[in-house]
Amino acid sequence: MTNRDPILKIENISKKYGSKEILRSISLEIKKGETKVLIGPSGAGKSTLLQCINFLVMPDTGKVYLDGRCINSRKKKELYTYRQQVGMIFQDFNLFDHLTALENVSIGLIRVKKIKRSEANERAMQELKRVGLEEHANKYPAQLSGGQKQRVSIARALAMDPKVMLLDEPTSALDPELVGEVLNVIRNLVESGMTMLMATHQINFAAAVADEIIFMENGTIIEHGPPQEILFKPKNSRTKSFCSKINEIYGDMLT
Amino acid sequence: MVEGSIVTIGVVFGAMFLGLILGVPIAIGQVYGKPFLRKIIAVYVWFFRGIPLLVLLFLFYFGFLPLLGLNLPAFTVASIVLGLISSAYQSQIFRGAILSLPEGQLKAARALGMSDFSAICNIILPQALRLSIPGWSNEYSIILKDSAVTYALGVPEIMARTHFVATRTYEHLILYATAGLLYLILTFAGTKALRILEEKVRIPGYATR
Ligand SMILES: Nc1ncnc2c1ncn2[C@@H]1O[C@H](COP(=O)(O)OP(=O)(O)OP(=O)(O)O)[C@@H](O)[C@H]1O
Ligand SMILES: [Mg+2]
Repeated sequence: MTNRDPILKIENISKKYGSKEILRSISLEIKKGETKVLIGPSGAGKSTLLQCINFLVMPDTGKVYLDGRCINSRKKKELYTYRQQVGMIFQDFNLFDHLTALENVSIGLIRVKKIKRSEANERAMQELKRVGLEEHANKYPAQLSGGQKQRVSIARALAMDPKVMLLDEPTSALDPELVGEVLNVIRNLVESGMTMLMATHQINFAAAVADEIIFMENGTIIEHGPPQEILFKPKNSRTKSFCSKINEIYGDMLT
Repeated sequence: MVEGSIVTIGVVFGAMFLGLILGVPIAIGQVYGKPFLRKIIAVYVWFFRGIPLLVLLFLFYFGFLPLLGLNLPAFTVASIVLGLISSAYQSQIFRGAILSLPEGQLKAARALGMSDFSAICNIILPQALRLSIPGWSNEYSIILKDSAVTYALGVPEIMARTHFVATRTYEHLILYATAGLLYLILTFAGTKALRILEEKVRIPGYATR
């Protein structure tokens, strides 16, 4: 495999809820080390797409390839192995509430990768350090701030050594003053060469870190390309109006 | 009557235990199972919640069990019948607790590559069982009182002993008052113990309710 081959590729993913089409034949691919950002209005289908990629939501049609291998989601073993390699970060963290920060990070290692508890804890501690939370290792989720919780959830995903990470609006549930600490962690991931697909409304952050921005609306990809192009000279009028709206809300950039 | 209390405790604990080990899988089946399994469970729960205890006791003791050629002691039959009924009620306590957990808990576990079975054992149950303790406390006090009905099978529990002594001594008032008091003490001890358990397993950072 060369660097030119995509590490993750999805082909014609469609999803309906009842008769409502949420995703209409979405295709995209990500190469190793790339960061792609999904933007689009609420209800565009960003979360559904991300969850279809690791089959937390079963797509109606379409294929997902990891490292060139088509994933058969009906084979349980194959599905579980695939999911281990795809890290997922949720908007509302979804930390396991009955476990400490450390246990949240180590449980995947112990129960999924079957690593010895002592080794797993050591590794979990390293990951907590990486997100700056080693002092909070023994706290429970309810004792952490939103920003800290999201960082634990990033550590939890990283501990599994994922090949790709999917991030669904990782800062949307946070108070404004906590957004920065999480974005810093994500920026470090970008710099360390992690491959990522991230939905976000943080346009300025996206502009800074993304190799490509994908604009989605009504379950279709309207336009995609380098940040400068999508944000400054979008070809499509819908992209244009969305970016200027986002700009009004989040203010400080694109000027 | 003290001996009666021990028998009562035995019946109640047997029933609670049986109810627990049956109630948990029943609840899991009802929440995560295939439609067919859910239907069977719904019928089971309907059956054991719908028929009066006394009817079920006689049905099993004089009906089903002899039909199967089983000749179990009244104590055992009482524990089993109360346990089966309790499993129906307890399954609904656990089901409610499972459903009250945020959907994201299971999603996050699956996203790590956990199998559904592992996710239920490691993520869902530890949280759901904690949430079930208050409901369990309620269930305990109900079974405790229901156990008095097993007197009808001749189980030598509190009520049977009291009745036995009362027919001989005619001290009805004092004897039945004592029986009542024994039930009150047992209720208090049990609910208190569960309260302590609840506090012990409380997840730090959450307020006690
Ligand atoms: N389980 C479901 N059942 C029915 N409809 C759903 C379900 N989940 C999502 N939808 C619908 O799918 C559409 C896309 O939702 P999705 O959450 O993917 O959008 P989004 O782009 O992530 O939006 P947001 O920016 O608000 O997070 C919405 O119209 C939503 O109402
Ligand atoms: Mg969303």
